[in-house]
Amino acid sequence: MSRGRDHIKFVELGRKMILLLFFLYTSHAPSAQPSRADQVKAAFLYNFTQFVDWPANAFTGNTFVIGILGNDPFGDYLEALVKNEKVNGRSIVVQRYSGVGEIKNCQLLFINNGNSTAAIKALAKKNILTVGDDINFAREGGMIRFFIENNKIRLQINLTAAREAGLSISSKLLRVSEVIENE
Amino acid sequence: MSKEMMPPGKRCQKKACFSLQALLILLLLSLLSPLRGLAQPALSPKELKRLSVEELLNIEVTLVSRTPEKLTEAASAIQVITGEDIRRSGATHLAEALRLVANLQVAQLSSSVWIISARGFNNVFANKLLVMIDGRTVYTPLYGGVLWEQQHALLEDIDRIEVVSGPGGTLWGANAVNGVINIITKSAKRTEGLYASVAGGDFINNMEALRYGGKIGDRISYRLFGKHFSRDATASATASNNHDAWTMTEAGFRVDWDPTLKDAVTIEGELYAGKRKTLPLASASNGQNLMARWSRTFSPRSDMSLQLYYDRYLRKDAPTASSDMINTVDADFQNHFRIKSQDLIWGMGYRFVKDDAHFDIAAGAGIVPRFKRLDLFTAFVQDEIHLVDSLRLIAGTKLLHNEYTGWEWQPSVRLAWTSHYQTIWAAVSRAVRTPSRFDVDYFLPMTPQPPTVPSVAGGPNFMSEKLMAYELGYRVQPNKVSSFSFAAFYNVYKDVYSVEPLPGTLTYQIQNGSEGRSWGIELAGGYEISKRWRLRTGYTYLDKNIHAKPGHNFDPSYLANDVRNNLMLQSILDLPLHLQLDVVARHLDGLGKTFATAKVPVYNTADARLAWANKGFELSVVGQNIGQKNHTEFGTYFIPRSFYVKLNARF
Repeated sequence: MSRGRDHIKFVELGRKMILLLFFLYTSHAPSAQPSRADQVKAAFLYNFTQFVDWPANAFTGNTFVIGILGNDPFGDYLEALVKNEKVNGRSIVVQRYSGVGEIKNCQLLFINNGNSTAAIKALAKKNILTVGDDINFAREGGMIRFFIENNKIRLQINLTAAREAGLSISSKLLRVSEVIENE
Repeated sequence: MSKEMMPPGKRCQKKACFSLQALLILLLLSLLSPLRGLAQPALSPKELKRLSVEELLNIEVTLVSRTPEKLTEAASAIQVITGEDIRRSGATHLAEALRLVANLQVAQLSSSVWIISARGFNNVFANKLLVMIDGRTVYTPLYGGVLWEQQHALLEDIDRIEVVSGPGGTLWGANAVNGVINIITKSAKRTEGLYASVAGGDFINNMEALRYGGKIGDRISYRLFGKHFSRDATASATASNNHDAWTMTEAGFRVDWDPTLKDAVTIEGELYAGKRKTLPLASASNGQNLMARWSRTFSPRSDMSLQLYYDRYLRKDAPTASSDMINTVDADFQNHFRIKSQDLIWGMGYRFVKDDAHFDIAAGAGIVPRFKRLDLFTAFVQDEIHLVDSLRLIAGTKLLHNEYTGWEWQPSVRLAWTSHYQTIWAAVSRAVRTPSRFDVDYFLPMTPQPPTVPSVAGGPNFMSEKLMAYELGYRVQPNKVSSFSFAAFYNVYKDVYSVEPLPGTLTYQIQNGSEGRSWGIELAGGYEISKRWRLRTGYTYLDKNIHAKPGHNFDPSYLANDVRNNLMLQSILDLPLHLQLDVVARHLDGLGKTFATAKVPVYNTADARLAWANKGFELSVVGQNIGQKNHTEFGTYFIPRSFYVKLNARF
């Protein structure tokens, strides 16, 4: 077979392939699936509920609310994880917020809205455990920052910010975290 | 070593223009970026919430760099190929897998020889790249390059390959002038069970692999593996073929042991033996290596690792009755800790190399003296300082002492600004390529000649080649499904290799009579269109000006057979009915003819894989280099279009 005919066949094959790809692109609706890192972060959020003490006045109902501010990286995964779990007798529920103003009754907040600094400022001293993963999250007054080192999740805890919000973090958690305290 | 270049021959002509169109369309597509999740094997929520905090902290969560930062925060031109990218590409050898990043130029010379470089200076003895497999350095001190046909790993068990283009000499070794390739295999914890595969085709005659992984108690995981392949000869323009078929058999193991939560021990080793067909007799090679690494995490702020390895290889070349045997023993220590806003990493290492380069007098050229001991001592320190909130200064240097030129230093300074999933970085680095035996001890012929007879009499005064590199980069991950990176570089090379006659004689010596500059840009992007369809792409532009230094008479153009435009697109697609359709398309500009190398025409080609995967079984049909019947990538050997069928099972 001549190279010219091979060439034409190849171009044809290519065109068909592109058409097929477009067809697939438009024809199916994908569902969200959190990355491994986000799955582990979700597990940490649940763990924090067990290693942090909130003052009694932090609660307004019989639920413990884990909030997500901004983009939700966890999807259904977080719900599946906290299903049937309790914090001091309170059932855990997950709520999602698009702005700081929507937050009324929330004990643990994962901030992922691209502007954590403003949210941290607005929520300081409100008995809310703030968690995020922006590089400056803990330095700017967020309480727990996730970061990744050697392929593993690490925690950075701003102890001063937690104390000022009336939260007490278990030494068991502090021992495995990088702790920063504002001078 | 019979790696000499062949005279230019007949070339293939037609090129397929489809892949460029396809790339453009797909590139445009990749700019659409809805926010969706990454597809990775899920840990069940039930499993996960039962784990302790310590155990959660021990889960490997990403596929990114070994450096203590997220990929989006990395202040270098790093690109990562994951094991999954490789498995879905249809690659059958490590060198083929490296085609999956466009900041490398991968040129297959013959059935068993690949020439790979980053940022230029691609030639048969390409020597400006540092390559490591699980921390073991694999470039040979014989000529400073990598004998890719002797580098093996079960592709199935590769975790990721990190490719850093640009100098990495401060943290890594003496050869990290233009880049570092870090090949990392999975922990034995992640390779439990049986994997078996058989494949056969018209170029890959047969290829088999077997691996079994298991556990001893709670803390020890292991795997044992073996593989074998036989590959056909490349096509020749003048003869029936190039008589370069080869076979290779390899066996290896890896043990991962966590004696405590803070300690991790890895021990791994391999043996291989193979045969390249050469005329009139075949050339055998074999090798063995053993590596042990202990790492300890003192606290989240501090850790250290200690690594020891032994490596031996023997490579024979029957046509020239020559062989090279190298024994290497290497010890490395490294410690990392944080104080306030500083992140400090330092380490030291010692490498002992014993070379037995046996060249027959009849071979003409050779290495004199035959035996040589090469000691290498290294130490490095690097500090990463958080200046203000998002600004980091990363400064450090490597100090090394080598047999030929004594002390050398390789400092670098980087500045990085990171905010919301994006990083802008700039770097200035100095790197050196220390002399190899081919630079200093190369003689043609091997016996002393009078000045009236043409000869090459080594490089007694050869110094290290030096590079000053200026880099600028940007990387961003605007959402969970897309990532993009850009790097630009300007390199100034001094004291580059040359071969020149001593004044008034015909006695040539290897000198540092060349110099030059190179510049270019590198783009890379990844985009997950949906849970079922993922794209990766890369583009590199490279240009240069290398020439003899004033007062020197040498044409260095054959040292740098570099493509100007290099474009790659990988598409990984899951179809209904357990089908997978994957394509890797690439475009490489041609190479000009030099006095020592052949012209290589521009080529567009692709690898395609169609597979059915269900319940641990996978049947795939792969076409490699399907763009044309055959093409050359370097020299004159034709790399054919080829197909293979592969069946594998994972239990």
